[in-house]
Amino acid sequence: MPLSYIVRRLLLVFLIIWSAATLNFFIPKITPRNPLREKLMEQASRSGYIPPGFEEMVQSYEKKFGLDQPLWKQYLTYMWDMAHFNLGYSISGFPKTVGELIGQAIWWTVGLLSLTTIITFFIGTLLGALMAWSRSNFIFRQVVPSLLVISAMPAFIVGLLLIYFVAFKWKALPLGGAFGATTLQNWSVSFVLEVIKHAILPALAVMLTSVGGWAIGMRGMMVTVQGEDYMTFGEAKGLKNWRLFYKYAVRNALLPQVTGLAIAFSYIVSGSVLVEVIFRYPGLGSLLAKAIRELDYFMIYGIVFILIVAIGIAMFIIDLIYPLLDPRITYEGK
Amino acid sequence: MRDANLNRRDFLRLSGLASAGVVLAACGTPPAPGSDAAAPAADAGASAVVTDTTATTAAVAVKDVPREKTLIIMFGGSQGQFIDVGLGNPYATGASHQMGNAALWEPLYYYSAFADEYIPWLAESYEYNADYTELTIKTRSGAEWSDGTPFSANDVAFTINMLITNGLDPDAAKIRNSTEVSKWVKAATAVDDTTAKLVFNDPRPRFMFSHLSSKFDTGIYIVPEHIYKDVEDVSAYTGFDPAAGLPVGTGPYTIAAWTPQQKFIDRRDEWWALKTGFVAELPAVERILVLPTADETTMAQMVINNEVDSSLSLLATTIKQVVEQNDKIITHTGRDLPFGYIDWWPTSFWFNCAEGAFADKNVRWAVSYTIDRQQMLDVALEGSGILTTLPFPQYAGLEPFFEAAKPLLEKYNTAEHNLEKAAERMALAGYEKDGEGFWVKDGARIEDIIGGWGVFADIGPVLGEQLRQGGFALDFQMPADHGTQISEGKEHIWLNGHGGSINDPFDTLDMFTSKYYQPIGTPTTYNSRFQNAEYDAVLEEMAKVPSDDPAYMDLYLQALEIFLDELPDCPVQQFLHRIPYNQTYWTGWPTQDDPYVNGAFWHLTFPLILQHLKPAA
Repeated sequence: MPLSYIVRRLLLVFLIIWSAATLNFFIPKITPRNPLREKLMEQASRSGYIPPGFEEMVQSYEKKFGLDQPLWKQYLTYMWDMAHFNLGYSISGFPKTVGELIGQAIWWTVGLLSLTTIITFFIGTLLGALMAWSRSNFIFRQVVPSLLVISAMPAFIVGLLLIYFVAFKWKALPLGGAFGATTLQNWSVSFVLEVIKHAILPALAVMLTSVGGWAIGMRGMMVTVQGEDYMTFGEAKGLKNWRLFYKYAVRNALLPQVTGLAIAFSYIVSGSVLVEVIFRYPGLGSLLAKAIRELDYFMIYGIVFILIVAIGIAMFIIDLIYPLLDPRITYEGK
Repeated sequence: MRDANLNRRDFLRLSGLASAGVVLAACGTPPAPGSDAAAPAADAGASAVVTDTTATTAAVAVKDVPREKTLIIMFGGSQGQFIDVGLGNPYATGASHQMGNAALWEPLYYYSAFADEYIPWLAESYEYNADYTELTIKTRSGAEWSDGTPFSANDVAFTINMLITNGLDPDAAKIRNSTEVSKWVKAATAVDDTTAKLVFNDPRPRFMFSHLSSKFDTGIYIVPEHIYKDVEDVSAYTGFDPAAGLPVGTGPYTIAAWTPQQKFIDRRDEWWALKTGFVAELPAVERILVLPTADETTMAQMVINNEVDSSLSLLATTIKQVVEQNDKIITHTGRDLPFGYIDWWPTSFWFNCAEGAFADKNVRWAVSYTIDRQQMLDVALEGSGILTTLPFPQYAGLEPFFEAAKPLLEKYNTAEHNLEKAAERMALAGYEKDGEGFWVKDGARIEDIIGGWGVFADIGPVLGEQLRQGGFALDFQMPADHGTQISEGKEHIWLNGHGGSINDPFDTLDMFTSKYYQPIGTPTTYNSRFQNAEYDAVLEEMAKVPSDDPAYMDLYLQALEIFLDELPDCPVQQFLHRIPYNQTYWTGWPTQDDPYVNGAFWHLTFPLILQHLKPAA
């Protein structure tokens, strides 16, 4: 791997991160909304009482957060802070910092979505391979594709249906949350089991709607691979069905799926926003939805910046390792 | 020459070494501040341990409390999480009493609007001087803070002076009530341990009620002098450290644990009121578990499934289904319409009286004549609402003022639906209808949005459509920045409540005085931007006269006549709190058969509800 290639890729990653971070700064600022006034006004409106001195409170809050500074100054401060991963205080969660809130939320998202992604990947890949394999059972070739219509449904719709039937009507699983309302977080076995129980429905909502994508992708690659000469040769040699399937077809068709898996992992940090919101799952998706709704600039900056960096690093790693995984691909097109 | 390219084998070796290095580094890294690090249980009785959620709190043991002794309520937060975690100081910016904290803070007096009853609590009595420029309060002996320090008049005087100092300091971040207290109150002193004296800058006959009594969401929080005297910036002081016993309050509850998803508020059995015999027994609720609000459907499902005992009020169509699906669920009116009680927040169309079409009183009256309130009630609320002719809640204390207003209301009928009168008014304003039936003046229609909060999602669209059919090109919307828009005068017509008058009309009428006027673009507290010098003068006089003085009624009627003539605010309905009460675990909720207080547990009167709740079994 040429060093110059690594350096070029690295510079490109920094450029992408800087551009995305700049957009990340300016886009929330396009709206003329004032998040501090809205936060205080919403609290006041719930009580039905707007206390005198309200505007003074808003102004002092703006000063605390540096929002009274000129835009260019705010931008420079923001870039400096992002470069040092100093994500600042959350407007809506003050006096908590963005880092603290993300730190509390990220593990719920990573825990739920990483396992879900892995399980969905394996199931979807296997189903896709079996759907394309000419010698697989009738069920995989005819019945399973029709079930994949669920994948066309938005995850939050599937989630709402699961909540209504499974949780509300049949009371088989909880309505939402990451653990029971009366339970305090701890690391006992019973708490962990409770977390797993609460994760079933949100995981199912994500899995049912994303397994189709993996399956269809794998099916496409399998169709291509099955037409290769080495497959014909293997059949001619009389290799067993399972060997042809796993060692020859799946193995060669798997590469784009692995790439997709790496990219999917980088997106985990953003959470599945709508699923987390409807299941009241306290992950990054819920945090981001709240931040957008309340125009919590610093929270939006923090979460999106982490996402940008995660995707940038993932793409960088993929660019580096791809030729090592597949010798047919070279760095310089030699 | 050595090949500069990294081959596959080398890459795999490097990756392995790098991964091992990361693992070793992680093992040696101390936990970051605020990370969840469980500590062992403090004693054998503890069954769960709270994990740190902030860097300043230490882990404490939280006892096991069975479900049948736990009251689970749902209120506050955003997107399923509390946004004020760790704000134990009620004056901290962003703090709120609404999520159960009212159980910690007791006032000098409670006021129950339904019973029109003052309930002395931390005070035993009060007295004004002859011209209402001095107020003397006798505090209750034997009351104590939760750390054992006696409650005294010093705490009352300290709190008032703290508000004055904050309000007068131009550099201080303003805290709740400090602005008006600093303008109205000259100083507060503790004459002795049980006597506090306030001296006002002007006559303030209503101060005891408006600021020193807790009702709905208004009332000053009395804080402990021995703790707050050392606090430099009250607005930034969090005041939350369970291990150190903070926050300190006089109420029978304390916050045991607080995460973004839950707040555990546990009963403390050393409550002063039991010790002194002020109450016969402790509240039966041993634990209050507060959960953040979810969307309307989820809240309804959780109440139906007995996972929650009470929640934020629901829409008319939702509460009906909730009551139908669980026979243990009641409301203020039992299991019957209208499934709720009148809140202090009657709904009106508010107008921007400084700009746009609604700056003309004839257009405002045309809106009032155009809407069909009864139809709105039938269509949007399935008949379960209560209309109103004045922007006051129909409470016992305000009934005389409703009665006295009847002659004026015959002349200025705010309940009338009359499209002919609407047309007359629009003609006076210089409008005529175009070919599509919309009012037009100088070639322009009255084209705008009707703004509103989510609580108006039921009536807003219906009223909007009525106005559209009546010739106003208006469309009901709920903008995310609605609060900012109305504050800065960028909306011209919107639905809103009042949060003012409770037992006399002054507070609501005062909202329309020109002291709240600000130019468009400059934010203000009360947003009608109505200006009328004569009206201001009458209200100025009203402020100095006690409400039981006969002159007060005359002033009220004078102000009301101006108000009705100008109609800066078009009354629509009484706002009902349709709060579900699940009786699976708890009975004794406030209902129309036992209306000891309004049933919103998020109000400062929550402790009165806690005193009444009994286990269902």
